[in-house]
Amino acid sequence: MDKDYFLNSGIPSALHFDPSSLTNWHSLSSNQELNSSPEQSSDCFLFESAMSSMVSSPAVSNSAISNDGFGISELIGKLGNIYSSGESRHLLAATAAYIGGGSRSPNTSCYSTPLNSPPKLHLPIDHQVNDKMPNLGNSIPINPNLPAVSADPGFAERAAKFSCFGNGSFNGRTSQLGSNNIKLPYRSSPSMNSVKFHRVSSSPSLKANGFPMGAQQNQNSTQNQIEMRSTNVSETKFGKISVSNASDRTEYCGSNEGSSVSEQIPNGEIGLKTPSESNSRKRKAVSRGKSSVNATNTTVAGGEENPNAKRSKSAEVNGSVNGSVKTDEEVKGVSSNGEGDEDQKQAKANSKPPEPPKDYIHVRARRGQATDSHSLAERVRREKISERMKLLQDLVPCCNKVTGKALMLDEIINYVQSLQRQVEFLSMKLASVNTLDVKMDNLLSKDAFQPKTSLPHPLHPLDSSKASAFFGHQIPEIPQLQTNLSTVSVDEFCQGLPQFPTLCEDDLQSIVQMGFGHNPNRDTGFHSQKLSWLKSDIPHEN
Amino acid sequence: MKQSSIKTRFTYGFLRTLKRLPKTRAKSSSFSPEEISKRCRIIKLATDASMASAVGPRRAWSRALIRRVRSQRRQRQRQWLVMRRTRRGERKKGGKEVGGGGQTDSLRKLVPGGETMELCTLLGETAHYIKCLTTQVQVMRNIVDLFSN
Repeated sequence: MDKDYFLNSGIPSALHFDPSSLTNWHSLSSNQELNSSPEQSSDCFLFESAMSSMVSSPAVSNSAISNDGFGISELIGKLGNIYSSGESRHLLAATAAYIGGGSRSPNTSCYSTPLNSPPKLHLPIDHQVNDKMPNLGNSIPINPNLPAVSADPGFAERAAKFSCFGNGSFNGRTSQLGSNNIKLPYRSSPSMNSVKFHRVSSSPSLKANGFPMGAQQNQNSTQNQIEMRSTNVSETKFGKISVSNASDRTEYCGSNEGSSVSEQIPNGEIGLKTPSESNSRKRKAVSRGKSSVNATNTTVAGGEENPNAKRSKSAEVNGSVNGSVKTDEEVKGVSSNGEGDEDQKQAKANSKPPEPPKDYIHVRARRGQATDSHSLAERVRREKISERMKLLQDLVPCCNKVTGKALMLDEIINYVQSLQRQVEFLSMKLASVNTLDVKMDNLLSKDAFQPKTSLPHPLHPLDSSKASAFFGHQIPEIPQLQTNLSTVSVDEFCQGLPQFPTLCEDDLQSIVQMGFGHNPNRDTGFHSQKLSWLKSDIPHEN
Repeated sequence: MKQSSIKTRFTYGFLRTLKRLPKTRAKSSSFSPEEISKRCRIIKLATDASMASAVGPRRAWSRALIRRVRSQRRQRQRQWLVMRRTRRGERKKGGKEVGGGGQTDSLRKLVPGGETMELCTLLGETAHYIKCLTTQVQVMRNIVDLFSN
């Protein structure tokens, strides 16, 4: 009910303090069932006057949502002045409610952030006000914090930044959820912020990606998944904020193959998206500047267990001192999460081998895999081999449905054997053709190298001549060939190659039967095998 | 290398080689099995050699194939005893294989020069070899088609 007043006053568009809003405020204050007292009524008027002054101020009236932090901070500062006069606590709370209500709109999650930063804002709460505003209370648990907000110089920046996070996360969320989610990062002490930043700084690759990632998130929220690591025990209560729909990994650190740098948004119990959409994979930022391998996946608090979660590889913590800090925090975060198998996995992962010596390149291994240099090299080699196998799978026609190295290799071997046999067969065919020389002459009629009559060489010199032609001067000779040969005729021949009609089965059979006819002493089995392979090759002819 | 260029080079070389073949002396009686088998061997050698030369020395298998053809040629020129020794030596060298299971052994035998490669390079060479074999088969089939019509 109270929400409506807030929303109707034009909050979604901007924080405009229209005169109409003042009337709304007035009605609001009247509707809040505050203890009617003269001082309150006077406070209302005071508030209205203050609001009118604010309305007149261009900064406020022109504040777009993008300038949230500054506009709000100004507002709150002025309200704080009102407060310092000591009389309009409830009005302040009302304003807070107003602002908090404003946060219900999709992109205004940042509005609630100023209200939720606990450490610096210490306003005593008017209990009555809190009671009267249960709806708003969820979004504004910490009403008293208002006045000190303005005192925080970097507050607006932080608010903006976290609004970026918020925007990315909370597209189309309900306002309540959004506000709750925004609440989460701030629930913890400022140490969390500092820790976060500390962590960011500890992994240089993250640094570059930290907030630009957030910006990117705005654009690619549906595709990217940002996860921020939960740092404090208290954050067990946070709902899972799985940011993106897609299950695609975002690879922020592009330097390493397969590495992904991500931050984990603290989990909560609020499923912002449907479980089917949310990706419960949590990954830890891994890559350091020099690390050769890969991000690992840690699954933290799998409230929504997807098959993905089970497939995800939890981190095996290897690192230096900084890594140990992360380890501890992960352990905290994990131990505090009492949800699902993931915790057990996590615990196992964290209890895995100790950190390697610090002067080595620190690499995060995947779960269940060792980290010594041999196994790493082995892994790289295996990946190469699997790449090549995929290539081969594309080349060999019948390997699409076959999976597994052994079967693939069998297929490849069969295919190579069949190709070689085909070559043999075709050479035999050529050998049996009578009119070879004549047609060759026709083709290469203008060949200055070769006399039109074939030379009656015995076998050996022929081989040697051929050898010298082809082996001694392989490439240099060929350009000479090309200049001297009748390029027209041979080119036609060559270009005609793709234009040859694909051999239909009748042609094949005729060819094979010709082979039969010419070579009656050949094995029929051989030819039938040929035929089968030739038939299978029909689709592959150009 | 583009397939077309390999194809072109192979076609050129192969046709030249075929042209150099000895004519069938007697048109009527050119189908004695020995002669045909001889010619078949020659033609097979020619096609292998021309394909290997078309590919060039960039690929391990083409180099190995050229080496094999040359050695076969030399075998015929030199004394048989000497050739047997070198053949044994080559086989011994071939015995030192690197990695792989049972199937990879047979693959190594199929791909020229594959006996001393590691599995990784073997697979790459196999891929290129398959590609070139398919072009070879295509060209030869077309030639046969042309000549038999």
